[in-house]
Amino acid sequence: MTLTEIRPEAVPDKVIAGRSPWALAWARIRTDKVALLSAVVVVLLLLLAAAAPLIAQWSGHGPDDQFRDIGITDQGLPVPPNGTFWFGTDRLGRDLFIRVLYGARVSLTVGVLSTGLAAMLGVAVGLLAGFYGGVVDTLLSRLMDVVLSFPYLIFAIAVVSIAGPSLTATVGVISFYSWAAIARIVRGQTLSIKEREYVEAARSLGAGDARIMFVDILPNLLAPVIVLVTLLVPAAIVFESTLSYLGLGIVPPTPSWGNLLSEAQGFYRVAWWYLTFPAGTLLLATLAFNLLGDGIRDAIDPRTERLFSRRRGIRRRRGGKSGSDDRQGGQGGEARRGGEEPSGRMNTMEG
Amino acid sequence: MAKRRHLTIAVAAAATLLATACQTDSGGGTRNSATPEQAGKPVQGGTLRLVGGGDVDHLDPTSSYYTVTNGILRAYARQLFSLAAQADLKKALEVVPDVATEVPTTANGGLSQDLLTYTVKLRDGVQWDTTPPRPVTAQDYLRGFKRLCNPVAGAGAPGYYTSTIKGMAEYCAAYAKAFEKDKPTPKALADFQNSHDVSGVQAKDDKTLVFTLIQPASDFLNILSLNFASAAPVEYDQYAPDDAAFRQHVISNGPYKITKYVATKEIRLERNPAWKQEADPIRHQYVDAIEVKQGVTEPDSVQQQLEAGTADLAWDLPVPTAQLPRLTASGDPNYKVFPGAITNPYLVFNLQSKNENGAMGKLEVRQAIEYAISKVAIGKIYGGKDLNTPLHTAIPPGNIGYQEYNPYPTPNDEGDPAECKQMLSEAGYPNGLTLIGAFRNAGNHPSVFQSYSADLKKCGITVKGLPVRQGDYYGAFLQAPSIAKDSKWDISAPGWVPDWYGNNGRSVSQPLFQTNCTPGTSNYGCYSNPEVDDLIKQALAEPDQAKSAALWHQVDQKVMADAVIVPFQNQNTPIYHSKRVKNALYLPSFQLYDVTNLWLDPPSP
Repeated sequence: MTLTEIRPEAVPDKVIAGRSPWALAWARIRTDKVALLSAVVVVLLLLLAAAAPLIAQWSGHGPDDQFRDIGITDQGLPVPPNGTFWFGTDRLGRDLFIRVLYGARVSLTVGVLSTGLAAMLGVAVGLLAGFYGGVVDTLLSRLMDVVLSFPYLIFAIAVVSIAGPSLTATVGVISFYSWAAIARIVRGQTLSIKEREYVEAARSLGAGDARIMFVDILPNLLAPVIVLVTLLVPAAIVFESTLSYLGLGIVPPTPSWGNLLSEAQGFYRVAWWYLTFPAGTLLLATLAFNLLGDGIRDAIDPRTERLFSRRRGIRRRRGGKSGSDDRQGGQGGEARRGGEEPSGRMNTMEG
Repeated sequence: MAKRRHLTIAVAAAATLLATACQTDSGGGTRNSATPEQAGKPVQGGTLRLVGGGDVDHLDPTSSYYTVTNGILRAYARQLFSLAAQADLKKALEVVPDVATEVPTTANGGLSQDLLTYTVKLRDGVQWDTTPPRPVTAQDYLRGFKRLCNPVAGAGAPGYYTSTIKGMAEYCAAYAKAFEKDKPTPKALADFQNSHDVSGVQAKDDKTLVFTLIQPASDFLNILSLNFASAAPVEYDQYAPDDAAFRQHVISNGPYKITKYVATKEIRLERNPAWKQEADPIRHQYVDAIEVKQGVTEPDSVQQQLEAGTADLAWDLPVPTAQLPRLTASGDPNYKVFPGAITNPYLVFNLQSKNENGAMGKLEVRQAIEYAISKVAIGKIYGGKDLNTPLHTAIPPGNIGYQEYNPYPTPNDEGDPAECKQMLSEAGYPNGLTLIGAFRNAGNHPSVFQSYSADLKKCGITVKGLPVRQGDYYGAFLQAPSIAKDSKWDISAPGWVPDWYGNNGRSVSQPLFQTNCTPGTSNYGCYSNPEVDDLIKQALAEPDQAKSAALWHQVDQKVMADAVIVPFQNQNTPIYHSKRVKNALYLPSFQLYDVTNLWLDPPSP
């Protein structure tokens, strides 16, 4: 099998017959050099973050160790990169390399954890709303609208002043703000999938709601959710950095990329390394996650045009248009088809 | 008594800032720079351009408290006495007559033998910028005193007046009571002020004021030299204090008048034609105009403008910390470092906290911490040893009662973790303890927190960080004893800039160490020692300065023996001006140059 065989028109029918959608996706992604490179970067970052304590032990520089003799000048300036401190030091004489690595632990943890929470909540809410429609859908959709219209920074500041800044608060704020976008997509997908013939078939065989939702519909939602999650992780990382930069996120001395940037801001004219390394790592991580997400999306569903229009649809809704006028906007032909052949439930919803 | 005046300031910090009134003195310790420049012949004309971030707190002299406001207030509001800008910084701390003709003493009859009555004569030729110009009278000062405790925008530190002037406390209490329910309209306020008297302030005639005190106060003239004690023309009765209309109609009796005020954007002052040089012993009118442009919040960009000559002075922003080494190394003649007289920051203990079995209430634990801190490391956060000197006393140099001694010596001031650990173990904490450290989440403060936490870690004390928003830090957090009682924090690092220097126990030791656990206190940890209270009382009443200095020093010793605070450093003030600014005289009280004494050469940039 060469790679070109994957294109449907180039591939003989019998070859296709034996492959699952996931195998196809994997085959496609292997051809995407950018996605592969991004994946390597992401894995490398994850490994470095995981190995940070080992590296710290090996170098003898803990993340909070202040080298007041060799890590800082008499006038309080950080020391440039050298053999001992690969990324230089910060204003308290700490090893910036080690702090960037430990910052990766925090930033990636927050990114993955909060996106994971958001995905679970988003899928659950979206599935319920899409599947049951009616009052349930109306209530849940309005809830999504409310969440999506929250000014997130103000919301974050409010939460932090009540709960106090911490890792938990940061993860909570980010998940709270991210789940609605996922729920929207999932709801739309559910709306279209539940009208498919095989679902009708399952229902006529007497399958219960739970079984239809979890066995018949959920697996078909995985592709869009995976894509969305990959794209939300970098957004969450940036969000965390923003909060920490403003002093509302991770509490020092625990390093996060946002904390490091915040500390470095007064020094950019005299210590280029102080800002450059944390900012560069942050950029690298978000870029890699974004490109990887793009790659996965292309691999799972090569009809990228349709996907692009779906994404635009999301943005339009976020811009404040009301959900009900627009709710089919992202779904293209399938949703319209649903409209043409309304089920009873669907009618209720539209009413 | 003395009231809050805290201050924050990160003199050399990045960002924001400004504090309230304050002062500094040459105290010991700082070598470095600050020799007055040879100014040459005065040049007339030009516009002095100040650039910075925020607006004044108040334009009304009665209520303004920020040091930056005082920088321009000096040009349009005069007090009876003042601290004049002087090339000799020691002299700059002496009270001199401004609108008063002379300093009242028992010798010249201005001060009674019992030290309770001050008779002050007003200078001729001091005029309001009205049409036509009108002389400033004793009644105008009287009106100023009556406005002090107005319920709309009163003085930031009314305690200096209510604790000294007879009848002032009663007047202020009645004023507050009268407007508990009533709406404070301009007319109602003016009616109250014009129908109630302060028994200790009397206008004997147009040119004579008589003050009667509750008890002798050797710092009374300092109190009269604060901006709160400015004169107020009768026109001010038309406005609610410092409201928007007031700000458009400020009336000047100084060399400049406000010709334009756009909130948060711009302030412009131009020469006041009603002002006469011969009636003002301490100010001049060299430049044509002074303009303040706001909205530039980055210290770095202000510094770039000053160096490029597109602005002349920074308004409310410090020289960026990270730039200090470069400026020092380059020997730039426009860069000066003035000796400080402030304790900023210092570590304060919450004696009320019940955390860790009330560890903060235990003397041995606090003393152990005294040994733990590296003052050198803290100093590096603020630019290193050229800009700070490690401080070992509760009262910093330049303030009454200061004498160098070191009750908790450590090698090179770098801390002694072993000593700390041993004392902690003797105090019953062999396995260390965990404390909550509250810190402001802006500027240099997070770094200060991380520096002292690292020191305490070496001694076995884990400090959990509690970030507090800069704007909430004093008023809504440290000064709320209920928060301290709830054990929300154990240690924190505030700063203190006194309202004046020299004979200033009332603005340092009293607010910081006298028993006061009410909202708004500056004794944040609610320290209380009857012996200290007693010493403070004696010192305030002692007319002989040498004797009162000795009493204040005893306060310092007791406080340090009780380990109420860990002093970190005395901070010097770096200032930069554009190269055309000449005769820049430093006002230690405000940590600024005097805009009424400098000139521009050349006048057009």
